[in-house]
Parts: sequence; structure tokens; C-alpha cells
Amino acid sequence: MLSAIGTNLNAVLATAAGGGQTIPESIAPATRPEDLGWAGLILLLPAISAVLCGLYAALRIRNRLPGWTTVLALAGSFVTVCLLWSQHDPSQPVVIHLFDWIDFSWAEGGTFESVRANFALYVDDLTIFWMLFVTGLGTLIALYATEYMDEDRGKGYARFFGGVSLFLLAMSCLVMGDNLVLLYLGWEGVGLASYLLIGYYYTKPAAVDAAKKAFIMNRIGDLGLAIAIWLTWWNFGTLEYDGIFQAIDLYLPAAADGSLATTTMGAAPIGWSAHLIPWFLFVGAIGKSAQLPLFTWLPDAMEGPTPVSALIHAATMVTAGVYLVARMYPVFWLDKMAGGGALVAVAWVGGLTALVAATIAMKQYDMKRVLAYSTISQLGYMFLGLGVITSFGAAFHVFTHAFFKAMLFLCSGAVMHGLAGQLDLRKISGLRKEKGFGVVTWTMLIGSLFLAGFPFTAGFFSKDEILAQAFVQTGPGYTALGWIGIITAGMTAYYTFRVWFRVFGGSEVRIEPGPEHEGDPGHFHAHAPGWRINLVLLLLAAGCLLSISSGYFGVGKWIKGMVAHSSAAWGMPIHWDDTMPAFFGGDPHFTMYFVSGTFGLVGLAIAFYFHLWNRKAATSLEQALDRNPLTRWLPRALERKWYVDEIYNALFRLPTWLLARVCALFDRFIIDGALVGGFARIPLVLGRIFQPLQSGVLQGYAATMAGGVTLILAWVVWIWLGKGGG
Amino acid sequence: MLTACFLIIPLVTAFIIGISPARAARWIGLLGGLATMGWGVVFAVLYPYWTEIPVEGGELAQYWPTKDAWNIVPLFGIDLELGVNSVSLLLVLLTCLFAPLTVTASFTAITERVKEFYIWLMILTASVLGVFIARDVITFYTCFEVSLIPGFFLVAIYGGPDRREASFKFFLYTFVGSIVMLAGLVYVVMRFAAYEGGWLPETNGGVNVWDIDALVTFARNFLSPGEQAWILLALMIGFAVKVPLWPLHTWLPLAHNQAPTAGSVNFAAVILKLGAYGVYRFVIPMVPEAVVEWAPFIGILAVIGIIYTALVCWAQTDIKKLIAYSSISHMGFCMIGLFALNPIGAQGGILYMLTHGLSSGALFICIGLMYERHHVKDLDRIGGLARRMPVWSFFMVFFTFVAVGLPGLAGFVSEFLCLMGTFVAASPTNGGYPGVLGPWYGIIAGSGLILGAIYMLYMVGRLLFGPERIPDHADDHDSHALPTDLNFREIATLVPIALVCLFIGLYPTPVLKALEPASEHLLAGYPAAVEAITAEAPAADGTLEQDGRSLTLVTKD
Repeated sequence: MLSAIGTNLNAVLATAAGGGQTIPESIAPATRPEDLGWAGLILLLPAISAVLCGLYAALRIRNRLPGWTTVLALAGSFVTVCLLWSQHDPSQPVVIHLFDWIDFSWAEGGTFESVRANFALYVDDLTIFWMLFVTGLGTLIALYATEYMDEDRGKGYARFFGGVSLFLLAMSCLVMGDNLVLLYLGWEGVGLASYLLIGYYYTKPAAVDAAKKAFIMNRIGDLGLAIAIWLTWWNFGTLEYDGIFQAIDLYLPAAADGSLATTTMGAAPIGWSAHLIPWFLFVGAIGKSAQLPLFTWLPDAMEGPTPVSALIHAATMVTAGVYLVARMYPVFWLDKMAGGGALVAVAWVGGLTALVAATIAMKQYDMKRVLAYSTISQLGYMFLGLGVITSFGAAFHVFTHAFFKAMLFLCSGAVMHGLAGQLDLRKISGLRKEKGFGVVTWTMLIGSLFLAGFPFTAGFFSKDEILAQAFVQTGPGYTALGWIGIITAGMTAYYTFRVWFRVFGGSEVRIEPGPEHEGDPGHFHAHAPGWRINLVLLLLAAGCLLSISSGYFGVGKWIKGMVAHSSAAWGMPIHWDDTMPAFFGGDPHFTMYFVSGTFGLVGLAIAFYFHLWNRKAATSLEQALDRNPLTRWLPRALERKWYVDEIYNALFRLPTWLLARVCALFDRFIIDGALVGGFARIPLVLGRIFQPLQSGVLQGYAATMAGGVTLILAWVVWIWLGKGGG
Repeated sequence: MLTACFLIIPLVTAFIIGISPARAARWIGLLGGLATMGWGVVFAVLYPYWTEIPVEGGELAQYWPTKDAWNIVPLFGIDLELGVNSVSLLLVLLTCLFAPLTVTASFTAITERVKEFYIWLMILTASVLGVFIARDVITFYTCFEVSLIPGFFLVAIYGGPDRREASFKFFLYTFVGSIVMLAGLVYVVMRFAAYEGGWLPETNGGVNVWDIDALVTFARNFLSPGEQAWILLALMIGFAVKVPLWPLHTWLPLAHNQAPTAGSVNFAAVILKLGAYGVYRFVIPMVPEAVVEWAPFIGILAVIGIIYTALVCWAQTDIKKLIAYSSISHMGFCMIGLFALNPIGAQGGILYMLTHGLSSGALFICIGLMYERHHVKDLDRIGGLARRMPVWSFFMVFFTFVAVGLPGLAGFVSEFLCLMGTFVAASPTNGGYPGVLGPWYGIIAGSGLILGAIYMLYMVGRLLFGPERIPDHADDHDSHALPTDLNFREIATLVPIALVCLFIGLYPTPVLKALEPASEHLLAGYPAAVEAITAEAPAADGTLEQDGRSLTLVTKD
């Protein structure tokens, strides 16, 4: 009976979810239409807004002008993206040249070479897909922030919105650039925006440190990306996507039949240097998307204002790594076809990150930190998806995650805003009964259901797409990765609902005000969110719910179509609806609904028991663990995030810092003291010998100089005479 | 005469300051600086180098369109020759930009011996400009050395507590280096004169043996590999001290640290460029075979310098010293780019001279403005200034990110190209250029990007952010009634640099296009040098012939 339903449902899914989608054999060369220059507005509007915000800051404007300027600019950007989408032919990528940036060439010995990285936009459906939610969510979150940041008007308000505009500008460059260097510009640009916004409360040492940490850890990834860019030029002689993809197109057939090692492009044999490109690209992605081992900056980034956490550190910027891998998927594909293992590494890093971050999230007490670790974990899923070759699943999960995670952050922001900065789970309870928090309570519940992968939510479908593919795709340990993903899904449900049950559940309202509250804690009144915060939350919740009511089919099909018309799918025989190996005796995608759904429900039930039904049990369990010396370490290690920060400090920061001290001392005492000082002393000693009455460094120097000049001139003249010159 | 104005304007200004009352000195200095800058702009606009690349004498010209010549020592045929090409014009413009800005940055900081100060400043500008516009060895060397004298006095009279040691060390260290360089140059000139049959144009058929370009053409074709190696050594001793290349750098932190603001700015922005410009002008084109041989060695020194000095920066608590050390680290990028010996690295290295001048000069100005207010530059004693000085903090953060190489700002383009050139030097797409450096150099030097972010953000984090820490006595000092944050004059000092940084960062195209033929010309001897080394072929078999204004090699067959 069940299997009959299953077969039927699956047939429906297969046809509805873009079944029969044909993937073109190769990536079409881009055309360069002249009449699309207006698309530059997508970049120009945030740029103007950033400059205006700077002016407002300089003029010390105290009203909401910076906020509304930014909202309008971002909305304009969003509309422009929509217009571009309506004009765009999915089967035909387009390059829109804005202006020259780095462009020079040379011709040596008849070979013409160039380095070209201009301000130009590469538009295919992947670009549009990404830009739609980046600018759309950007607009909504900026609107939310106009209220959230209200108390800072006249202080940091303009600076904040300047940072947000700068971020959108950089992110647009990252996503839309037609070459890797412009992507690098956006890549570091979002890092700058992130630095400025994490360090927004710059008098707080924790915020300053977090900002610094984020930028430096990202820089490590950035070096990887830079190396990948150099290797790309090394192999393909170009930095533009169009050129790279066309070159790879020529290569893939040779790669597929195993003759790649002997194939040449121009004069260049393809070998290790081509295999290294995806590895280094992925190093860049690890930094930006906070994967193992470079994930520790993201939780600390929560020091920034909450809208920033929602926009940059959950919905958009951190997905840049996923975008990079998806955009450069042909390079990964080339590597795989020629026997390389870059995609396996992507899958394993993603799967392990998902698991590790989820374990940490289970034992954090700060709402935003729980969400931050869940972001890392969900990003891990996306990379797992890319690694097991479902770029569609990854993109789908990016999309659903962007909405529900932004919503969750904005909800926790509303809580934090209302409770004077309180975010500790142990200090809030029963918030759903507090007046004015109704919208927050129920939108947060929706977000939690989506994040937990509750059956038939969008998060459920997008996650299952990835997990099922892990079982379908053959690769080293992919099945194990699938199980890791399923277990992580159970943990995700647990920690998500731990937060919701603790904060919003409970029979009576109990709130301790946070650090920003001044005065008597007994007379604290929660400050309910206003219309702009509620409106944004409702809009996001409606968007999430809509994705259920219109059915997974609609959204999934749309996203599948978008990915299918991009470099993340073109030319690759991706299993869209091929016959797949069985999983528990059924179609993997269908069986997965039950398996991961069950795990999710179990996690949810555990959270319900310990954090709502019987909270005392949670306390006694903790005490029991603590009494047993064998298990005592576990909760502590989880709370201290497996001591990763401490380990990095001991392994990298401290030795480098010590080395810096040693170098400084070496410079002072050896190079400057012994060597330079020693040389300066030679004439002094000579001076003592020849002129006992005079001593002093100065004369010594003079003596050296005179002697040296004489000697050199004598030597020169001698050589000159010797050569018979004159 | 047009190019000579670059010398005449600052020198005349210095003279006028000398005969005017002391209270007018800074205003005359400002006018003179503005005139220099104005002339630089007019000069660049009048001569459309940036758009057209004329082909002169059959050779893709290393293009010297204006040439002023005066025969000053008839006996040895020494002509004073001036002119610019796109590279030197770039550096001339950099110097011209800082000419008025160093004056405005010193307006209130210098209160004693004011006249003398501005005179030395103008002479410094003139001598540095002289190096960049020189077309003959004598002018080049004279200006190269003369620049030491104003530098010496600026440190020795107006410097910090250790000014005596700093000024002497600066003078002697660099002077000894340049003497060795002079010996190398004179040797090549004598060989050239011997080859041509005499010093004088009348006896040797109209060749000016002191002309740098002719000399370069001669040297790279007729010097034996052994001679080239010695010349390389002699030249590099002179230029590496100035760049500075590790381990010849220790004069720099002391001199930068002790110098007054204007002195530090000039040291960082333009004086260090004399060394790098020398490498560009002499070392690389003159002795290609020796350079190919020794480039890995120089590359290793540069890489060590990048990493080592970046680490040293991190251990500094004195802000000026930190930025001084960062200059050494940054100039390592410039060197590695130039010695990558391919057009990407050459473009990057040449552009790096400009962008490093902008960022480090501006950072020294910023620190100077802060120091004038609080009289402290120790990170342990001062910090958290952002709330008190928001405008100043904005510029500080801006120039920090220029220095860190954030894309979209000037530092990125040059740094990225330097590293890319180094990395791809050994690639098959590199064409016929020698691939002596390679990925490892690029990767290890690239880790300087991370270290650069670490120490710069460490400095900014402590100086600008966190709780405010200001020494108590700070307000007792007379601060010339300066406002808490920057005043109009100070903002006007920083804004032009910021705009140039933004422009170069977003639209470097005209500069890169203008540098295209120059970098190609710079490396013209290299494919042949590679062949000569691999085939162990004898030195060129042919004669140099006058071809229009330049010499070309005509092979015997």
C-alpha cells in the first residue's frame, strides 16, 4: 500500500520537479549585447547609496534618511534584477561590459597574451537566481533595520547603512562579475563590509576582536582563491568565465575518455596545475562559507547588529562559497573526469562540518550563537550537495535556507531588541505570552519548523534532495556521508526546538533583562517590536508558507530550471531523473522523506521532552553526565566548541606571535646590532689604530667612505687600463 | 626646458623662501608645492602619453618625447639630459602630488627654524624629481645623492629624540651603498666609451656615452656574463639599500620613526621609490643574463623580507615604526614583481611604486596628525580614538585598507599583479620570458597578504577601536589650538590622496595601458638572454648603430 502511494507520489514529483529537464551538452558561448548597459544599475544604486550614507555621516544627519535611502536603493536594485530576468533568454548567457578595469596585453615572440578583468557582468540563470534573493532579502532586512537601529540615529545610523550598501555593492560584484578577479573584488569587499559591520559597536573589545578575526580568517581563504585565479590563468590564459568555460568545453570529451593527461591546449599540457584549481577554489570557499577548519569566525561574528547577522552572516555572504563552487563547477567537473578528487573533498568537508557544527549548536546558550552554528551546519549540507553532484540541491537549499534563516535571525533580533540585549536561553521563558510578541513567536515557530526539516516544509525537501543524492551518487564513503547528514538532521531538529521551547514555551513569562537595561531589573518591561519589524517577519513567513502551499513542486521546479540553465549544470550528465539505485528498497528521494523525517521528528520530540515538558529532566541529565568522570568532558567540550579556538591559538596564533617577537629581537640585536653595528665598528677600530687621538663612530664612517671610494676607483681604473680602454 | 621646470620650480621656491620672512615660509612653500603639482598635471595632460603609444625609431619606444640637453662638462662629453617616459612620469606625478601635501601636513607641526625646513623640503622634492627625469648617468647619480642631504637635515634638525643616530645612519648607510653603485655605473660607461672609441661625441661618432638608454643597450649586448654579474652586484648594493631589500633595511625604521611627519612621508612615498626606480631603470634592462642567473636569489631575499618584516611589524608598539616596517614588507612585493621578469610582474612592480607611495605616505600623514594632538605614538598608551576623532578614523581605516590591498583601492591592482606575475612566471602561458621565479615564490609571498591583514588590523584595532585610552598629560601640551578632530586644512591634505587611491583602484586602465610598452621594453632583452644562457652562445656579434635617437644592435650577417 505504502509503496503504491510512494510510486504514485514519486511519479508526480518526477514530472513536476522538472522531470525531463534536458541539460545542454555544452556551455553556450556568451553574447555581448550592447543594449543591456542599464543592468549596471544593480551595482550603481548601492554604490550611490553608500556614498550618500557617507555624506549623511559627514553632515551628521540625525533623521532616518540613511535608512530610507538604502531601502530605496536596494529595492531599485531588486527591481532591476527582475527586469533583467524578464529580458533574459535562459539558453544564452550574456556578458554586459560596463567599463575597463585591469586590461593589458603583450605579444612576445608571436604569442599574444593578455590579462583581462573588466567591470563586466556575466548573466546566466544562476546569476539571476542568486541576485534575486540577495537583493530581495537585502531590501527586506534593510527595512527591518530602519526600525532596529533607531536608537543609534545620529550616532552610527548612517555608518550602519553605509556598510549595508557597501555590502550589497560588493555582493553584486561577486555574483555578477564576468571574471574571477571581479569576483575576488566582491569577495574581499563583502569581507570589508563584514569587518565594518561586525565591529559596528567599536568600543566593545569583543566586537573589535570578532571583526578582526573574521577578516583575517577570510583572508586565509582569499589567498586560496587568489592562487586558484593565478592557476586559472596559468592553464587557460584567461580569467573570464566565458573563456574558461569554452576552453573546458573543448577538454571535457578528452577528460571523459581518459586521454586528458596528454591533451594540450595551445602549447600547454594539462596536468597537476589544472587539477589544483578546484582545490584552491574550495579553500577560498571554506574561508568565506565558514567550513571546517575555518569556521570559528562566524559564531563570533554575531557581535554585529542582528540585521547584519541575518543578511550577511546567514542569508547571503556566507553562501558565496557555494556560489563560487557552483559557478566554477566545470572546473570541478573537469577534475573529476580526469580522475581528481576535489569534489570528494567538497562532500566530506561539507558533511563533517554539518555534523561538528550541529554538535556544538546543541550546547550553546546564546540564541544567536545557536543560529550561527546552525548556519555553519546548513552550509555544510550545501557543500555536501555540491560534492555529491547535485548543484540543484545545493542551490535549492541555499534558497530555502536564506529565507528561513534570515527570518529566524530577525526573530531573535526582535527578542534581543525587546529584552535589552538578552539572548540567553536560560534567562527567558514563556515569551509567547508577553504582549506584542505574537508575531515573533509564530514566525519563529515557522522558521524553526523549516530549519528542523519538518515534513513538507521547504527545508525538508531541499535537505532531502541533498541527502538522497548522497546515497545515489557513488563515491568514497558517500553512503556514510548520507548517514552523517541524516543524523545531523535529527540533531538540527533538537537544537532548533530547544531554543523555541525554552524561549517561547513555558507556562509563565520569566525574563531577565539583558546588559543594555539600566536600572532596577524588577521594573523591566519588554519592548514589543513595531510595525516594520513585524511586517518584515510576516512577509518572510508568508514567503516560506507560500513555498509550501504552492507546493514544493513549483519552487523546486523553478529552481531546477534556473540551475539547469547555468554553468552549474551545463555539459554535465547530472542525474536529474535517471533510474537510480534503490535505498531501503525504494526510490531514494522518496524513501528519504520517511527516513530523515523520522529522524527530525525524533529530535523534535527529545527537545519537547527536555525543554518544555520536563525541564527538570534536562537539568538532572546534565548533572548525571557531570558526575560521571567518563562523560564529564562531553558537555564541556560542546559548550567550548570542541576547544577549536584554543587549539588554533596554541597551534597557529601563539607560535606566529612568538616568531614575530623573535624576528623583532633578531632585527634589533643581530641584523642591526651585530651586523650593521659590527660593520660600523670596523673603521672605528681602524681609526683607533691609525689615529689614536681621535675616536668616534663618525670619523670611522668617514674613513671607511674615503678608503672605500679610493679602493673602488683604483679598482675601476685598473680594470679600465687592463682592458686597454681609452 | 619643459622637463627642467620640475627642477626649477621647487628650487626657485626654496630660494624665495630663503629671502622672505619666516612667517611667510609655509605659505610660499604651499604655493611652490601647488605650482609643482600643477606643472605635473599640465605636463601630463599636454603630452598625451596615456592614450597614444608612438613608435619611434622602429622600436616600440621606451618613449622619451621631451629631451633637454646641456653640455656641462665638454671634456668628458657629459650632457645634462632630461626627459620622461610613462614610468618616470608616473613617479614624477607621485612626487608632485606629495609636494604641496607635505607642506600642509607640516603647517602647525614645525615651529622652529621654519624657513630652513621648507627650503630642505623643496630641495628634497627637486632632487627626487631630478632622479626621475634624468636621462644620463651623471644627472641621475647627482640627484640620487643630493636627495640624501635634505633628508639628513630634515631628520637631524626636526626629528625625534634619537634624531642624531637616525640621520647619520640614514646618510652613511645609503651613501656607502650608492658609492658602490657609482663604481658599477662608471665601469660600464668606460667600457662603452672604449667600445665606441672615445668619450666625446666628436670622436666616437655622435654617441653620448653617459646616456642611460644607450648605455643599457650597450651593456646588455656586449658585457660578458661575468662582468654582468659584477655589475649586478654593484648596482644592487646601491639600490637594495634604498628599496630596501632585506637584510639591508635597518636604517629605514629608525629614520622613518625619528623623522618629522613631512620627512617620513617623503621617505616612504618617494625616497624608497628611488631604489625601485633604479632597479627598473638600470638593473633589469642592463644585465639580463646576470639577472636571470640571480633572480631566484633576489626573489628569496624579497620573500624573506615580506614575511619577516611583516612579523616584525606585528611585534611593534610604536605606530610609526610599525608603518615603517610595513614599507619594507611592501617593497618586497614590488621587488618580487619586477624580478618575476614577465610583463604581468613588471606592470605590477611599476604600479606598486605608485600605490605604495600613496598608502604609506598617507598613513604617515595620518599618524602625524594624531601625534600633533596627543604627542604619543605608543600603542600601549593610546587607543580607542574613533569616538573622539571620527573623521581622522575614517581616513585611517581607508588608507589601512589601501595598504592591506583591498580590491577597488589602489593597493590591490599592483599587489595582485606582482604576485600573479611571480606565480605564473614558470607557466607555459608565460611565453619566451625566463621562468626563474614560480608558484612557491608566489604562494609564500602571498602569505604576506594574510600577515599584512594581521598587523594592520592589529594596529587599527588598538589605535581606533576599543575603550578610549589617552595619556593624561596630552591636553597640557600646547597643540596650537587644533580641534579634537581634523580641521579643513588637514582634511584637504588627505582627500586628494584618497581620491587618487580610489581612482587607481577602480580605473587603473589608463595607467596600465601607458605602462604596457614600457614594461615590454623593459624585458626586451630577456628572451634573447634566455637563449644565450641555454645555448651558451657568445655575446652578440654585431655593432651598435645610431638609429634616430636611440642605438640599435645590427648583427653582422
